[in-house]
Amino acid sequence: MTIDWSWIADHTDDLTSLTLSHLEAALTAVLLGLLVSLPLAVIAHRVRPLRGFLLGASNVLFTIPSIAIFVLLLPVSGLTRTTTVIGLTVYSLVVLLRNTVEGLDSVPVRVKEAAKAMGTRPLRTLLTVELPLALPVIMAGVRIATVMSISLVSVATYIGDGGLGQLFTDGFQRNFPTPVIVGVVLTLLLAVVADALLVALQYVLTPWKRRRA
Amino acid sequence: MYELFKNLGTWLVSSSQWSGPDGIAHRLAEHLQYSLLATLIAAAIGLPLGLLIGHTGKGAFLAINLASFGRALPTVGLVVLVFLAGGLSMLPVYVALVALAVPAIVTNTYAGMTAVDPDVKDAARGQGMRGRQVLLQVELPLALPLILTGLRLALIQVVATATIAAYVSFGGLGRYVFDGLAQRDLVQVLGGAVLVAVVAVVLDLALSGLQRFLFRHRTA
Amino acid sequence: MNRRALLGGLFAAASVPALSACASGITSLDGRGDAAGGGGSSKGGVTIGTANFTENQVLGYLYAAVLKAAGVKVTVRPNLGTREIVIPALEGGDIDLLPEYQGALLNYLDPKATPTEEGAMQNALTLALPAGLQVLPYGTAEDSDAFVVTRETARKYGLASLADLKKQNGRLVIGAAPEVKKRRVGAVGLKDVYGAEFKEFKSLDSDGPLVKGALKKGDVDVANLFTTDTDIEAEDWVVLADPEHLIPSQHIVPLIADRKADDTVRKALARLGNVLTTADLTALNRQVDKDKKDPEDVADAYTKQHGLAK
Repeated sequence: MTIDWSWIADHTDDLTSLTLSHLEAALTAVLLGLLVSLPLAVIAHRVRPLRGFLLGASNVLFTIPSIAIFVLLLPVSGLTRTTTVIGLTVYSLVVLLRNTVEGLDSVPVRVKEAAKAMGTRPLRTLLTVELPLALPVIMAGVRIATVMSISLVSVATYIGDGGLGQLFTDGFQRNFPTPVIVGVVLTLLLAVVADALLVALQYVLTPWKRRRA
Repeated sequence: MYELFKNLGTWLVSSSQWSGPDGIAHRLAEHLQYSLLATLIAAAIGLPLGLLIGHTGKGAFLAINLASFGRALPTVGLVVLVFLAGGLSMLPVYVALVALAVPAIVTNTYAGMTAVDPDVKDAARGQGMRGRQVLLQVELPLALPLILTGLRLALIQVVATATIAAYVSFGGLGRYVFDGLAQRDLVQVLGGAVLVAVVAVVLDLALSGLQRFLFRHRTA
Repeated sequence: MNRRALLGGLFAAASVPALSACASGITSLDGRGDAAGGGGSSKGGVTIGTANFTENQVLGYLYAAVLKAAGVKVTVRPNLGTREIVIPALEGGDIDLLPEYQGALLNYLDPKATPTEEGAMQNALTLALPAGLQVLPYGTAEDSDAFVVTRETARKYGLASLADLKKQNGRLVIGAAPEVKKRRVGAVGLKDVYGAEFKEFKSLDSDGPLVKGALKKGDVDVANLFTTDTDIEAEDWVVLADPEHLIPSQHIVPLIADRKADDTVRKALARLGNVLTTADLTALNRQVDKDKKDPEDVADAYTKQHGLAK
């Protein structure tokens, strides 16, 4: 299995646009996942009876094969980017919900009671006390969801999208390893870079952690 | 939507759907075989690795990063790559599934090992236990709950991902998903997806039940 | 049904090479009449979709090249999936134009359709298509499904024609893309027309590495391939004859949404259809599959070489 370097040189434009399209799908899914999971996590954290249901339901979603989700969305959103993004959002949502609930749970009761005693309203407590303190655990979830989404985008190649995943089906059909190798390497690079950037972001977002260290 | 679920009911209970080489019974057996074998191989690789790192405390940084690297590996790409390198067999599928399962097993085993109280280890050494005895008789039993959690997580992911076997002509429940996609037969796709989810949930419940039974005397 | 049979008969005589004239004549018989000529506009650009096999990508990029040369803005979405997936996408508006095959398309739209001759099929297609879609004049190039066995299997089981399969009922394994299991030119028709029943249907791919690999290895006895595949000759495989005409002749035909079908598009695709021969297409497929050239580059080079694009 040899790498055809000239193919790579000839396709830098295509590879760039596939990489960007890949990244766009993954990041949109994580952002949407965050948007949906935050309120759900707050509900799960505060309304005990709903907690089991929400976490259980999201865990079941996680067991459905991603390709099936994409196909089942076809009658709704067709062969579009929307299908890819909705499918990926489902998975990132599961990871984010789990971690955000865990993060909120990890905030010491004493801290919340102190805030209450000082007359802080619940919403304000949530935004200024609980979420910042839960941030490290939430960010751990964001990192996992991002890496997972980047790796999952390629499955959407079966519905004609999939960013770098298109290199896999193409290489497969033509018995041509070069695009496949390039696709795998670029996916890994994307994941590593995105993860490193998230670590940096977390460093910026949690200055109190730095002072302690 | 209602129509789809009504047809799913018919699909799932029709007896012809259950028999023969493309029947649910056979596909289910294939799917279980792929998933369990892949998880076993992954455990054979991941467990010793996690135990070693946890016991010696060496290479932890590398292992954790390799694990997140492994999580980023695109399964489709890996399957195609191994297929192109080695031809058509189940090998590409197993390589991809094992690569998926190993990180969860290593990280959880390592986490379980680091969670063991250092005082307990010291006490064991103070009683004259050697490194290997400490590992097998003290650390391993204490780390077991987290290790099992890792195996559970790995198995669930593998069950969901084993659908990929159908992409390279093999069986399992993924057959319904890929055939249903090609034929635009959404009932078949949904049937396959539901069966995969049921298998995953049942295995998860069984394993967590086992965990609870094994560690019923311990306080969490 | 009567009307179709009548029209089929009428056009059976009027088929063959005067393609653009003949075929546009057929299209104008379309129930939607002249709407086919006006109404649509390619001004906003045309999105070409292609199915999940090499030749369809080549055709998609050939369409793209001639449309670009005619000043139309085009986007190609390669490798979208099977006909069962791409046609609903065309109806839904995700794509506007597809390279199609007369016989297979007709079977998809109307599994009971009887015409097998290209003029009659073109006509039947026009009648069978859902509102909003139309076929443009068909091209010279043809590509049909073929059921293929290795020389050794042919000898061992005495297979020369699809009619011979029946003698081996329950013994042979057939390999094809998953959708072929439910298609008339596939497991369904082989049983209905030839009484052939297989030990197993193996879901593989559309004339791709899986089905050809399985045939070579002996994992399947009968494989569904395309007649434009040079491997059939290279590997000395035997194409089973089709005395009952289960497999229709298949000229390549553009399937387009009415909303995009204007004269610019028609003219450009008709010119390509007249120039591109079966041999040309076979050679282009080969360049992509064997020489690992991009379908886009291959298509651009071809259209330039034949004066279809600058």
